[in-house]
Order: sequence, then structure tokens, then C-alpha cells
Amino acid sequence: MRTSRYNTLPQLAAVMAGFTLTILPLESEGLLRWAQRLEVGPAASIAVQATGDLHRVLEPLHIEWVRREGLADLDRLGWSDDPARLQAAQRVYVSSSSGHSQPCAAVVAAASLAVPDRSAATLAHPTPIPLSPSAPASTPLPPLPAITNGQPRVVALAGDSMMAVGLSDILLRETAADPNVRVIKAFRSGTGLARPDVFDWMQEYPAMIGSEHPDAVIVAIGANDGQGFVEDGKVLAFGSDAWMQVYQDRIAAFLSLLTQNGATVVWVGLPPMKSAQYNEKAAVINRVTYTVVSRTPQASWWNPLPHVGDESGRYREFQTTPDGRTTRLRAPDGIHLSDEGAMLLSSALINWLNAPPPPATAQATPPEPPKLRARKAFRRKARL
Amino acid sequence: MLFPTVEFGLFFASVMLIAWSLHRFNCLHKLFLLLASYLFYGFWNWSYVPLLFLLSLFSGVIARCIQASSSQRLRKIWLFAGVVVCLATLGYFKYTSFFFTIGLGLWAHVARPPGISIPSPLLPLGVSFFVFHAISLMMDAHRGKLKQAVRLGDALLYVAFFPQLIAGPILRASSFIPQLTSPRNPATIRVNRAFLLIVAGLFKKVVISNLLATRLVEQVFAAPQAYGRGDALLAIYGYAAKIYCDFSGYTDIAIGCAMLLGYRFPRNFNAPYSATNPQDFWRRWHISLSSWLRDYFYIPLGGSRGSALRTGSNLMITMLLGGLWHGAGWTFVIWGALHGFYLIAHRIWNSVPWQSVARLRQTSPWRWAARLLLFHAVCLGWVFFRAPSFDIAFALLHRLTIPGRITLASVPVVLALFLGLAGQYQPLRWRKALECEVGCWHTLLRGAAFAVAIFAIELLGPSGVAPFIYFRF
Repeated sequence: MRTSRYNTLPQLAAVMAGFTLTILPLESEGLLRWAQRLEVGPAASIAVQATGDLHRVLEPLHIEWVRREGLADLDRLGWSDDPARLQAAQRVYVSSSSGHSQPCAAVVAAASLAVPDRSAATLAHPTPIPLSPSAPASTPLPPLPAITNGQPRVVALAGDSMMAVGLSDILLRETAADPNVRVIKAFRSGTGLARPDVFDWMQEYPAMIGSEHPDAVIVAIGANDGQGFVEDGKVLAFGSDAWMQVYQDRIAAFLSLLTQNGATVVWVGLPPMKSAQYNEKAAVINRVTYTVVSRTPQASWWNPLPHVGDESGRYREFQTTPDGRTTRLRAPDGIHLSDEGAMLLSSALINWLNAPPPPATAQATPPEPPKLRARKAFRRKARL
Repeated sequence: MLFPTVEFGLFFASVMLIAWSLHRFNCLHKLFLLLASYLFYGFWNWSYVPLLFLLSLFSGVIARCIQASSSQRLRKIWLFAGVVVCLATLGYFKYTSFFFTIGLGLWAHVARPPGISIPSPLLPLGVSFFVFHAISLMMDAHRGKLKQAVRLGDALLYVAFFPQLIAGPILRASSFIPQLTSPRNPATIRVNRAFLLIVAGLFKKVVISNLLATRLVEQVFAAPQAYGRGDALLAIYGYAAKIYCDFSGYTDIAIGCAMLLGYRFPRNFNAPYSATNPQDFWRRWHISLSSWLRDYFYIPLGGSRGSALRTGSNLMITMLLGGLWHGAGWTFVIWGALHGFYLIAHRIWNSVPWQSVARLRQTSPWRWAARLLLFHAVCLGWVFFRAPSFDIAFALLHRLTIPGRITLASVPVVLALFLGLAGQYQPLRWRKALECEVGCWHTLLRGAAFAVAIFAIELLGPSGVAPFIYFRF
């Protein structure tokens, strides 16, 4: 039978009706989740209300099991890129295949960190903490633990796109040739601590590091946190006292998770941003994170301003190198770091990580440009 | 607003509904599409909507002036002025800091460079595309390819039409503006083809491209030093598949969306990795850009009408500019130079007069060897295209000589790589047969099948959607 390639408007309308009637039951939960992830505001409230109503109406059809089972099957096949989901799927799989509901010991051991109770975790930092006025230009870094039995130091790189773009690339490159350092990637773009309903770092970080016990964690996070959120059913506007309190608690809880098992944490502050409005938000977030981090003995707050800011600590996009080259320090979006900017920001951190055993107390002043040292090591290795 | 998002789905459904309800009133219909396009663009950044409006208005006015001018000289002057303004706009936003850094670098060889602050404006989304659309409008007016006088409203919609606005395909004014002159015919909508294109595009972008990006390519290109030969090779092949799926996926969705609104867009990709020579590759890869460069740049330069040396230099200049169009960086220039070199080498090889060589070229084994050779030459170019610096590009190429086991070849990665590359060899008749088969189904069932396909794509895709590569161009 020969069919026409063309359709009429009523046929298009019928196809769209079939599409809508099928997609809504299949995706009603997905739509609700999408609405919940929108930035808090009137539009998000309307979307949550509408998709919530839709979900309630369609729930009795029980079509959601298609989605849940589909995702669970994909997770069991190792398809998912979400560590927490993968771990949860593995747990379900082990318990169902072993015929009892207790998770298998091996799977439990795979997560080396216990997720602290948020309220308990914040006891060390009773809120509200008065915000510290400003961060010092340089922070001494605590020595890393000595290398035992020839095992490399394990370093976790955690955070959002501020870690994923530029910074992690440089840190991975410059430590690749060092046999004493092993790096775990525990970063995820588009995340933060303001919206655990979208991405919960308290659940995801333990899944990301698995059974590893990092000796050090370098964390760069907060670029997406300049937004309001809902806490206990109340909308907290960004920068309000209530917002500050809750955000401090979240940072404290996250920090206590990172420092479990004795890991040393270096918290990289947000660099100055090109947009004045965004810069103000970043400054607020920096003040909060510095306040919390500076009160934690195992953690240091790494000030980005002396490295990638100008003389007065403002946004700087280009620099002139000693050999006269002009290089870009920031990505064209005016937010993230370029490779050169990340190198400037992290050169002392790289020296600290690559410090030969026995570890010496590293300071912000590098003894030798790390790129040069890493290249030498790289060439040595290549020659071998 | 990215295509594979709920926001775009809701936006497009609303636009389609309203646009078809206005189709009898062509002016109102076009005005609505224009406002929807500005809304689409403003979703990214409202402050750049005036730039889009002014540039398209400017090109429309110039096109009218060209059409109204009787003297050839005056037409040329108008065209020259229009092209200069468009290129200056593109240059300001895209290349200012690049050329400033080059200038300061050269200055540093002579004296200490002055401490000036380098202007670095935020790059408007899709600026390279809408500037090329504006130029196409003026060029087509100058060449007399537009039969009727250009209406300013049509010019505004041609440049800003949202399906092609931020990542192409680059439409010719002569092919699109005539579509705006009459109301869309509600009896000739290619619904099945449009939905198949949208589903295929989403699958390529959300599943294949995103999987390869997050699990293979980004990891290896970030720190090639941490990987051995196996992973480096896998990442290079992965990027070849990823960039194809990313970009062709976007244009498939764009073509499908335009089709559902009753408009025709040209095909932008045609199984490029099945090409057997560089010329063939550029007839299959980003067809709308390569034909734009050919018609508006290479041929006015002289094309292949002069000596072999002149033709070679025209090819090289065109490809260098094509490279620079993709990004303001030396790695893009090298990418363009490599392709210029491939095209010149192919011309030289083609001009070998020996009969035995001519016979050899016709054999199947030779064609497969040529295909394989070309694919690897293209992959070499992709290394420079993707790498943020020459250090990284050379480090990655160096890793190809360092033994190391493959650590990133998970089942999803291998499957995505296979589908991304082998998918190009699917016979065209399969696609036609599928469209024909779907056309036999009941309309409600067709809609349900498309919904299930999109649902499956959503489940299969990684949780975060990486932005389209071509947005930054």
C-alpha cells in the first residue's frame, strides 16, 4: 500500500493527541521532578502545583512502574552515571538476589563514609555564626599524611562546574605523572549545596568516592548557590538571615562529611565574577563558606583573589606572563577559569599535593613552577 | 533554551498550536513566529535581543537598497557596506580579544606591551549563525536570487527564526524567504518525517553524544597524561562520533521542528564518515556551512578557475577562515589548515594522469582504504578542534605511543561509539521504509509511538545534558 508523505492539520492534531495522552502518564513523575528543580519563584510554584496535580490524577493508573523499573534495570546494567543511583541499584540487586532484605556486607563496605545526621553534624557549628569580615590573602596548608607502604595519597576533587571546568583538568594533568598521588573525581556540574532537592551532595559524595579514603579533598563549589530555596515549607530568599543560617548548616554538614576519616580539606573560594550582580552573590557565598571553613581545624579556605583577581581583588580576564605573552585567565562566560587561570589559582596546591615524602609544610609560595616540574617528571617517565 | 529540555518542549508545543491556528493570516502568523523567536533567544539573555533585531533589520534594509539600486556600482557599494558591518559585528564579539592578544604578543617582541585592558564582550549565542544569515540575505539580493522585493518583516524572521537561530543549519535567503510569502499549506505537513527526525536527533544528542562526552571524551581530553594508548584512541574516535551526533542531532531536531511548522530546511549532514575523499567529506559535513563558504567566499575568490597554485591558495584561505569561524583560537586555525591541506593533497592526487591509478580508484578495496584513511585524517583534525591548547593536543597524540590498557570502554561507551559511527552506514532505504511503515499506522498510535521513543531516550540519557558544541560558534 502506498502512503502519502504528507499529512493534514487534523492528522497532525491527532498525532499530537496520541503523543500527549501517552507522554503525560509516562512522564508525570519526571515532569513533577523537573518542576521541583526549577529556580524557586512564582513560575516554579505554578509548575509544581500543575505537575503535582497532574501526577496525583495519573498516579492511580500505575504507569509509573515502567519508569521505575526501566531506570532500575538500566542502573543494574551499569548504564547510569549517577553514583548514588548506581549504588542504590546495586544494593537492591544484591539483597534481592541473596533472598534477604539486608544489604550485602561488600556493598555496605563500598561506601566508606557514613552520611552524618545533618542536625548532629551542625552541632560543632551552632548557628548563627557571625560572618567573618574577610579572608586572608594566603592560607597555610596543613601537611599531608606521610606515605605508608608505598601507597599513593588519595586526593578527591569535589564540587560543581567551578571544579569540573578548568581546575580539575589542571589538577589531574599536573598530578598524572606523580606516582605518590591518586586522584578521585567527585565533581558534578550544575550542582551545589543550596538545592539538595536537585542534587544531594550528602548522598552523592559518599557514592562518588566509593570505598576510597581520601587523604585530602579539594573542593570548589557554590557557583550555583546564589538562589533562594525552600526549607520546611518556607521560601528563603537568597542572602536573607534565614537563608544564611540554613546555608551555613549545609556547609558545616558537608564539611564534616568531607573531613570524615581524617581527610584534609582545601575549600577553594569563588573567584571574582565578570557580572557585577553575580559577583555580589559570589561574595556572599564566599563570606559564608570562609566563616564555616575557617572554624574547622582540618580545613583551609583557599582565597582565589590574589591569584586570579587584579590588584584590588576585582575580576581580571587577562594577564601578561613574564615572557610577554597575554593569556586569558577566565572562560568566555566570565564565570569559570581557563586553563591558565586554573594553573595560577592552583599552582601552590599542586606543589602541596606533589610534595615528596616526607611531606613538608607547604605554603602558598611555590619553590618551582609546577608545570615545569610536572613536565620534567612527564619527560622522565616518557624516557623510561 | 536547549532543545532536549522540558522548557523547549512546552515552548514548541505552544508555538505550534498558535502558529497553525494563525496560518490563514500570514502576516499575523509571521509576526507571532518572530515574537516567539525573540522569546526563545531572550530565554538565554534578553540584553542581546536588540542586537539580533538591529542586525537583521540592517541586513533587510541593505537588501532592499541593493534591490532598489539600478547601477551595478551602487549595488556593490551597498553590499560591501552591509558585509563590512556584519563582519565587524562578528569580529567585535568573537575575535576582539583574540586579535588583541596576538597584537600584544607581537608588541612584546619589540617592547614592553602597554598595560591596556583588553575588551572581551560576552559572546552572543549563535552570533556566527545569524551574522551569516544576514550576509546571505544581502548577497542573494545582490545576485538577484530573490525574485520579489525583500519585506523587512520577512528579513527579520529569516534571520531570527528560532529552529535555526543558534546552531543552524545556515539557510539561504533565496530558499527560505519565498516560503514566507504565502501561508503554510495545512495539507502538506510531513508529520512522520518530522517526528522521526526529532526522535533521531534527540537520540543522537541525549544518548550517544552525552554518553560519549561524560564518560569518555571529556575525561581523556582533560588530562591525557593519565591515560594510555587504548583510552587515547578510544577518546579520539569517541569525539569523532560525539561531534557528529551532537551537531547532526541538533540540526535534525531543527529541521523536524521547522517541518512541523510547515517550513523546509535543507539537509545538513549526509553520513560524512562514509566519504572517500576530503571534497566528498565537505559535501556531507555541515553542508549548509561548507556550501555557504563555497558560494560566498571560495568562488568569489576565484574558486578553481585559475592555476593549480591559485586554486590551492583559495582552498587554503577558505578552510583557514572556516576554522576561524568555528572559534577564535589557533587550534581552530590549525584544524582549518589541516583540512585545507587535505583538499589540496586530494586535488594533486586526483590530477595524477596514470591509467592504473585511475582504475585503482574505482575498486572497492581502494574505496574502503580511502574511507579509512580519510576518517583518521579527520580524527587528527578533531584532536586540534577539541583540545583547549596545543599542549593538550600534542599530549594526547603522544599518548598514542604509550602502551596502556583500556579503562574507559564500558558497555554504554562502546555501544554509543558503535552506534555513532556505524549508524552512518545505514542505507537510506531503511529510513524511507520506516517513514513509510509509520505512515501506515493510525494517527493516535503514531503519536503514542513517538512518545514512547522520547520516554526511552530520556531514560537512556545521562542525568545531565551537556550543551550543544555548536552553540559556542
